Amino acid sequence: MSEKIYALLLRLFPSHFRKAYGDEALLLFRDRTRDEKGFFLSFRLWFDLLADLAISVPREYFYAKPKLTTVPAQRLGGTPLFYIVGDESPRPGALFFGGMLSLAALVTFSSLLSHGGNHRALVASARQLQRASAPPSSASTRPAPQAAHDTNSPGGGKDETISSTSRQSAMAANQSSPGRLKPDKSQSSALVRQRPSESPQPSTPQPRDTGSSAQPMQDDAVTTMATPVQRENLNAAERHRVIDAAVANLKQYYIYPDVAQKMADALVAHEKRGDDDAMTDGKTFARQLTIQMRDVSHDMHLELVYSQDPLPRQPTGQTPEDIARYREAMEQKNCTFEKVEILPHNIGYLKLNSFPDPSVCRTTAMAAMTSLNHADAIIFDLRDNRGGMPDMVALMASYLFDHPEYLYNPRENTTQKSWTLSPVPGNRLADKPVYVLTSARTFSGAEQFCYDLKMLKRATLIGETTGGAAHAGVWHRIDDHFGMGIPETKPINPFSKTDWAETGVEPDVKVNAADALQTAEKLAETKLRKK
Amino acid sequence: MPKRKLDPLPSAAFQILLSLAGEDLHGYGIMRQVAEQTEGRMRLGPGTLYSSIQTLLEEKFIEEVGLREDAKLGQERRRYYRLTSAGRKLARTEADRLAGFLRVARARKILRGDYV
Repeated sequence: MSEKIYALLLRLFPSHFRKAYGDEALLLFRDRTRDEKGFFLSFRLWFDLLADLAISVPREYFYAKPKLTTVPAQRLGGTPLFYIVGDESPRPGALFFGGMLSLAALVTFSSLLSHGGNHRALVASARQLQRASAPPSSASTRPAPQAAHDTNSPGGGKDETISSTSRQSAMAANQSSPGRLKPDKSQSSALVRQRPSESPQPSTPQPRDTGSSAQPMQDDAVTTMATPVQRENLNAAERHRVIDAAVANLKQYYIYPDVAQKMADALVAHEKRGDDDAMTDGKTFARQLTIQMRDVSHDMHLELVYSQDPLPRQPTGQTPEDIARYREAMEQKNCTFEKVEILPHNIGYLKLNSFPDPSVCRTTAMAAMTSLNHADAIIFDLRDNRGGMPDMVALMASYLFDHPEYLYNPRENTTQKSWTLSPVPGNRLADKPVYVLTSARTFSGAEQFCYDLKMLKRATLIGETTGGAAHAGVWHRIDDHFGMGIPETKPINPFSKTDWAETGVEPDVKVNAADALQTAEKLAETKLRKK
Repeated sequence: MPKRKLDPLPSAAFQILLSLAGEDLHGYGIMRQVAEQTEGRMRLGPGTLYSSIQTLLEEKFIEEVGLREDAKLGQERRRYYRLTSAGRKLARTEADRLAGFLRVARARKILRGDYV
């Protein structure tokens, strides 16, 4: 009886082992049962056998290998010798597991095939997670009123991939155009740009797009309230209304009508499929729609944004009062020319915190550049520059060339204003080494300055990769909380396929923003000494 | 497919080599001899015994010397195994290694006595 049990247990071993040693193992068992009688001894025998099985059976399977049989072919010169698997057929267990594995692979593959198209949703949710894990302090430090999407943290610009542009343009516009900016630091104003055709002063250069809400740019640290990010619960009807408006805006304004139609179709299709059903939070919904539009158009300048605070109903025109207020603010801040000085070794240093409207600040800008006219090298410190007017960018750049140079600006089609005003009479800086200090807070118009000078190989950029705000879209308000930036022009970029939208401008010399000035001084000094 | 390793030499394989040092033995004989030389501490089960034998055979440390009866155990014809010279050398190397440990243990005063 016990021998039969052991014979059954022996079947646990792989067949090659049973074939070779099965009989001997059984014989050994028989010998032992004959020699080891009595309760204690037979108990020990079975303990030994079971322990042995527990150890040897897995080991035998681990080392099990099909016997290789040498093909009895003659080995001819240079002909390799082949081995084949012996005639032993695979175990039923192996066949079963093999079958299950193939089935699982097939199921996985086919489900990936049918659901692969939704992989963007994974990207979106990953972004949401990333955002959700951002420190809450960023929400508490924002001045009110503030767009819900605005988590304005230095160095965090890369994460603001979708909603940064309107925000940044809002800042730039607020600071540099004759808007409703007040010198009062805690004052936050809302400024919505009109479309150029509606502008009462078409001759005044203006940013083409607007922000939903704005703030004086130096006021990042002002804490006015900690607002809950999720306030609104969108229902299907509200979502439908936003999508309808987005579709209408796209069809009416987007630069390429065929792409606009495709994007509109995609938005409607996503809605019908129920892809938007989970989006009850305005911010998430806006991001989702932005992703859906970009999936079709691959246009990083296109976006739909959500603002927690009501967006102004009518575009704010520029009243003489606005302009007066702007002028007053700029005078107080010396047109954001924070520092103009000559450093040791006759290196000119200019710290500029925005590119203000030349119609107000031209004199200040020219005076600053003139005072540096005899410098042997010049350092532009744009580490705190949040952008501004392309005209001022062109004006500043004019001093660095002895002939007109084309400056690429993603907002505007090529016009006469796209060129620098070089040569500037009496200017001596056209052939002097130029260094531009950048940080992750360098935005928008300041990035245009960096990008164009870098592409023209006119300046060495030192510091950090810039924020990545190219904002070429024109603002269209949908309702109190939603609006979208739609590119209506497609200027030619002579330098490269992409600009700095989302990616920022890479510096030539990568150092921490805090060390940028020191590095620039060293580089300039070395260069001057070589001359 | 991983190859069975005899480096380091498993104690079961070493004991089998030792058991065969005196005379040729069949499987059960090896098992009993091992139990005896380890004072009953190591009782090789069939799985461990024959997989060790297989490995030692593959590496040619032991060899089969044919089937014959063991008069004391009955009529069955049993397969006998013999130590090869390579196997003897391997057993000696292992014994030397262990002796080295013993010397260390004595030098460190962990083990007393004057053998080895």
